[in-house]
Amino acid sequence: MANVSVAAEWQLLYNRYYRKPELYPMPWKHVDLARTKVAAAPFGGPVAVIRDDSKIVQLHAESALRKLRLFSSSGRPLADAVWRHPGGRLVGMSWTDDQTLLCVVQDGTVYRYDVHANLIEPNLSLGKECFEDNVADCAFWGHGLVCITEANQLFCIADFRNPSAVKLADPGIDEMPHCMAVIEPQYTVSGNVEVLLGVDDAVVLAVEEDGVQRLGEGLLRGPLQKMVVSRDGKWLASFTHDGRLLVTTSDLTGVIIERDCESALPPQQIAWCGMDAVLLYWDDMLLMMGPEGEPVHYLFDEPIILIPECDGVRILSNTSMEFLQRVPDSTVSIFTIGSTSPAALLYDALDHFDRRSAKADENLRLIRSSLPEAVEACVDAAGHEFDVSRQQTLLRAASYGQAFCSNFQRDRIQEMCKILRVLNAVRSPEIGIPLSIQQYKLLTPSVLIGRLINAHQHLLALKVSEYLGMNQEVVIMHWACSKITASLAIPDVTLLEILLDKLKLCKGISYAAVAAHADKNDRRKLAALLVEHEPRSSKQVPLLLSIGEEDIALIKATECGDTDLVYLVLFHIWQKRQPLEFFGTIQARPLARDLFVTYARIYKHEFLKDFFLSTGQLQDVAFLLWKESWELGKNPMASKGSPLHGPRIKLIEKAHGLFAETKEHTFESKAAEEHAKLLRIQHELEVTTKQAIFVDSSISDTIRTCIVLGNNRAAMKVKTEFKVSEKRWYWLKVFALATIKDWVALEKFSKEKKPPIGYRPFVEACIEADEKGEAIKYIPKLADPRERAESYARIGMAKEAADAASQAKDGELLGRLKLTFAQNAAASSIFDTLRDRLSFQGA
Amino acid sequence: MAQIPNLDNAPVNLTSIREHSQKELLNILKNVRGKKCLVIDPKLGDSLSLIIQTSILKEHGVELRHLSGDPIQTDCSKVVYIVHAQPKLMRFICSNIHNDVSKGLQREYHVYFVPRRTVVCEKVLEEEKLHNMVTIGEYPLYSVPMDEDVLSFELDLSYKECQVDGDTSSLWHIAKAIHKLEFSFGVIPNVRAKGKASVRVADILNRMQAEEPVNSSDMVVPEINTVILLDREVDMVTPLCSQLTYEGLLDEFLHINNGSVELDASIMGLQQEGKKTKVPLNSSDKLFKEIRDLNFEVVVQILRQKATSMKQDYTEMTTTTQTVSELKDFVKKLNSLPEMTRHINLAQHLSTFTSKPSFLGQLDMEHTIVEAQSYDICFEYIEELIHKQEPLTTVLRLLILFSITNSGLPKKHFDYFRRELLHSYGFEHIAMLNNLEKAGLFKKQESKSNWLTIKRALQLVVEDTDTANPNDIAYVFSGYAPLSIRLVQHAIRSGWRPVEEILKLLPGPHLEMKRGGFSNSPSFDTLSGIQSSIAKVPDGRRAVVLVVFVGGVTFAEISALRFLCTQEGMAYDLIIATTKIVNGQTLVETFMEKLG
Repeated sequence: MANVSVAAEWQLLYNRYYRKPELYPMPWKHVDLARTKVAAAPFGGPVAVIRDDSKIVQLHAESALRKLRLFSSSGRPLADAVWRHPGGRLVGMSWTDDQTLLCVVQDGTVYRYDVHANLIEPNLSLGKECFEDNVADCAFWGHGLVCITEANQLFCIADFRNPSAVKLADPGIDEMPHCMAVIEPQYTVSGNVEVLLGVDDAVVLAVEEDGVQRLGEGLLRGPLQKMVVSRDGKWLASFTHDGRLLVTTSDLTGVIIERDCESALPPQQIAWCGMDAVLLYWDDMLLMMGPEGEPVHYLFDEPIILIPECDGVRILSNTSMEFLQRVPDSTVSIFTIGSTSPAALLYDALDHFDRRSAKADENLRLIRSSLPEAVEACVDAAGHEFDVSRQQTLLRAASYGQAFCSNFQRDRIQEMCKILRVLNAVRSPEIGIPLSIQQYKLLTPSVLIGRLINAHQHLLALKVSEYLGMNQEVVIMHWACSKITASLAIPDVTLLEILLDKLKLCKGISYAAVAAHADKNDRRKLAALLVEHEPRSSKQVPLLLSIGEEDIALIKATECGDTDLVYLVLFHIWQKRQPLEFFGTIQARPLARDLFVTYARIYKHEFLKDFFLSTGQLQDVAFLLWKESWELGKNPMASKGSPLHGPRIKLIEKAHGLFAETKEHTFESKAAEEHAKLLRIQHELEVTTKQAIFVDSSISDTIRTCIVLGNNRAAMKVKTEFKVSEKRWYWLKVFALATIKDWVALEKFSKEKKPPIGYRPFVEACIEADEKGEAIKYIPKLADPRERAESYARIGMAKEAADAASQAKDGELLGRLKLTFAQNAAASSIFDTLRDRLSFQGA
Repeated sequence: MAQIPNLDNAPVNLTSIREHSQKELLNILKNVRGKKCLVIDPKLGDSLSLIIQTSILKEHGVELRHLSGDPIQTDCSKVVYIVHAQPKLMRFICSNIHNDVSKGLQREYHVYFVPRRTVVCEKVLEEEKLHNMVTIGEYPLYSVPMDEDVLSFELDLSYKECQVDGDTSSLWHIAKAIHKLEFSFGVIPNVRAKGKASVRVADILNRMQAEEPVNSSDMVVPEINTVILLDREVDMVTPLCSQLTYEGLLDEFLHINNGSVELDASIMGLQQEGKKTKVPLNSSDKLFKEIRDLNFEVVVQILRQKATSMKQDYTEMTTTTQTVSELKDFVKKLNSLPEMTRHINLAQHLSTFTSKPSFLGQLDMEHTIVEAQSYDICFEYIEELIHKQEPLTTVLRLLILFSITNSGLPKKHFDYFRRELLHSYGFEHIAMLNNLEKAGLFKKQESKSNWLTIKRALQLVVEDTDTANPNDIAYVFSGYAPLSIRLVQHAIRSGWRPVEEILKLLPGPHLEMKRGGFSNSPSFDTLSGIQSSIAKVPDGRRAVVLVVFVGGVTFAEISALRFLCTQEGMAYDLIIATTKIVNGQTLVETFMEKLG
């Protein structure tokens, strides 16, 4: 039976099964792991190999120059580069989480390569001490590295995305440690990296930036030869001097497992396989130790490299890539020999169904109640399978079972199919990323897509992101940029067509970003063509500026209505061009011009004048000068009557002259002239009266002040100078006299001649000053009976008011007056009688 | 005192908008650790008081200061500026920092721009060589809920900036604010705009939707059905007339500032001599909600009735024996006593203004000008005001009204008035005259006025207005129906098409368009006709129309819109958004930049 053959390949360790399927045969040529240094990235990432310069090897036909070669996990060559770096022996090599290859050489230089074997500039240095003392060994983690010098000092770069070398505390040892391991910053209490050193004494030194701790005192019986920290930073697996495997907590406070290995010779490699087994490798023998039970032996007739993954270990040899992993529970339940679990029966039922055997139905009946779990187990097992046909069979079994159960989440199978399609696609030897489902979930689809893009697998990345319903923008954007970089020979217009064809697939993609890339690659014309397609002005305009298209930028900024962008362009042009040219540019664009004027009004007064002069807006210059004259007046230094008075008037006169240049501004010109004259007169008045109360008051106020001061002659003079109308004169004088309560003068004034605006000003002034007696003198002289009525009413003379109102024959007025006298019963009866009489007359 | 209005009854969820602004502000404060001195420009401070209580700011270790040119007095080593992104204000910040530097004070400066950082402001810092000393951030406050149906963009200078300076920054701001609303409430499918600025806002709004689309897929029905954009320029007559609604009059005489008035404590019957007190005015006050939109005449009557009935209840209460439930009712009524007292005090205070002959004369004159029949009487009246040196804003309101209804004044009169103004109030007002002329508010007559045609066609003057039981919006001005609201009425009822001829008589272009995914779906072709059933949102609420005033709106106009909402057959709830709530005086003041 099929089931038997599956389980036959498993090994039992304690109570768990392990399997070791081959992922790929390795098609690479001329690679002998025995004589090379290897760095393999986790999550099925690329493998870097380079001839090991610490070993003496026979070169055969090879060049003496070494080559750094990059392969996919399936052994396909990706790229290579000749290694010509100075700095001594290559000490360590590893991939970071974002798939940058770090190569540390003896003098402490770190060379970085991308997956295309391009050197990433600049090279980093671990510091002067490393340079002087030589790097002896190093250890890596996700984004960082730690190295130890021959002087036994430790240095660390905690994050290569922001690289800076830090020296750790001095461990204070004379002898090279036997082994070194790191606990990643995310798992330490301090949040900084912790380096474990296995030294000669029976202790482990834990070195951090600010101190050294001695761990495992009393726990260890001798020095440790090899160490490896588990993925979660909690456990430490180590090989002791006396040939034991020791698993402790990573702070070495408790022993979890202690087991004898058959050899006292330290293993060449040691690695965690998932979380529940440790692998030890000596020449041609791989030992897998579990917490209990007999260890499993694997024999190899060629050298291997252990590549730890989150859920197992990949085993790389010259000829194959295998994956050693614990068999998942669902798979065990289905395929264990003699299993009667519901899932196994369901799987079996499908087999019967395919063979049209009635036994299928029997099986289903047996597991009816636990059908959902059985389906779930089949789906789960399919997910863990690398073999496509077995995936299919398992999924078919699941879907067969699903048909008989009503309460199973239907999209579960569909979802799994989706995942598997993606996984199978990336596992294909051409791509060579052998992710397990667990790794895939941990890595996340978006990171996977990022890696595909990085490896220039754009089409697959696009398909995957489309298939998973993710945003394709990243993919297309990266593609477009890579395309530009790679297409130096293609003419701009052709390349534009090619790019647009793909860019339009993605709504809202930033054409400006692609254009910026084109610009960086010295393809300015292409950049200009591309930026034309950018719908977002806020992205488009700055780019247009950076490629020197200021005029188009100005048009675009103006069109979009975002004044901030207009200012951006404005300042840019302002800085770049000669003033006159600048003025010409903005004069043609009203919005730009107006914004410039607004800004310049506050901060660039003189420059603004230049602008107005250049465009012939003399009146605007005049307004500016006039304003300046006011500022001089406000200046506390320019106290009244001081010499600064002269410049004020001069500025206004200049303004007057400029206004006079154009026909349309005669009024303003006249006003400026009068203003200058007024200031002079006021100045004189201040001198003669020795009172600083005139300057900067209006003509009317000046007249009033004169009258209030009793200086009628001066008032008359101002009146004639400025041709103040009789009407205004009367109002001003009447109110001024009322202010100083000069009732005699007021009466005299009223009798000078018949007032041109009648006696109302007199009445109003008296009423407002609350002088009824004075008011009565003038009320009878009011021509309009309505006015008379209202005036009487205002000073509370009801009877007279009523009489006047009845004279006016205005019923509405009577009614209103009655309201004002509402409190007064006698008065309101008068109004009633009068109104009755009126309406009677009307009838 | 509850300054922050309750927004629970808003037609759309304005609370969430306010809470969001609140959170953003607090995040800014949290970003700067420890004690800090918060310096805000005073205008922004007013807006913020509608968003967050000062006490909450204090809880975040904030010492509050207003922005000015004077050195900052504080012990804090961290200074956080939150200011409008206006180049003018940068002067103060620069002088503050220069001052600290000269004194050798080392402080950490953060400048948060409202609503966003701008090139021009940063340029000023750069020119002053301070840009390396300040950390720059943004506080994206685009609109502030003033009440459950009113949003303000707090752009008090918008009208002047657009009309006089040609600076259209505010239009982008308005579009952005509406676009932000769309992110909460869905793409607004119908747009109607009248006026140059409004059409431009609609255009920018469309660009924004193209550049940064609101994802409409997860919102099946947009909560806001239509946006009506209206330029203040289209109707400058209305804001210049004295408002006669209760809230309008309060604003005219006591200046409502961000939902409250400040007045002498003695007026409110408080025994604090000479002290000022702030009275909040918003819908949280139930009595105010009832009377704010009514004509003041009616308000006085209502208050009197209420007081009388209460007195009656009280007398009954003291004389006869009551059942417990009657007692309960009485006590309930007593609960509204503080509100009663408040509004009786306010109304009494208002009537001291409204009974003045000068006010009555002014009202009379406004009506005469709007009637546009007696040119000479108006001319002489205004001339006399100038000669008497009445307050400049009072004069300008009438003068502008006069100029607009006549589409400018004959050159001779134009020059005469300008000269008399300069002579009476001082030559520094030349700049203001220039501004008014640029804005077309007070200018030389160049063509015949079509005001009479407009007035007639839109029935702006309504005879026999019953202010107590109004049947038309004209009640808010006792007989004059605000032009702006007439247009809104048409826009809501039937769209622009039937009134196109009239629209052409008013300044600026008009526009009507459909947007979003709904342009092809006939079921959203609402608003035209009375197919109001479609406009109803399933849960029985009415669809919402957003009315945006570009350049400001008065309380009287808001009242008129609220009145429309209560009318039978009205299918929509209205939300009003404005650059700022204005009145004739504040609007005129924006043009008054003195030369000095």
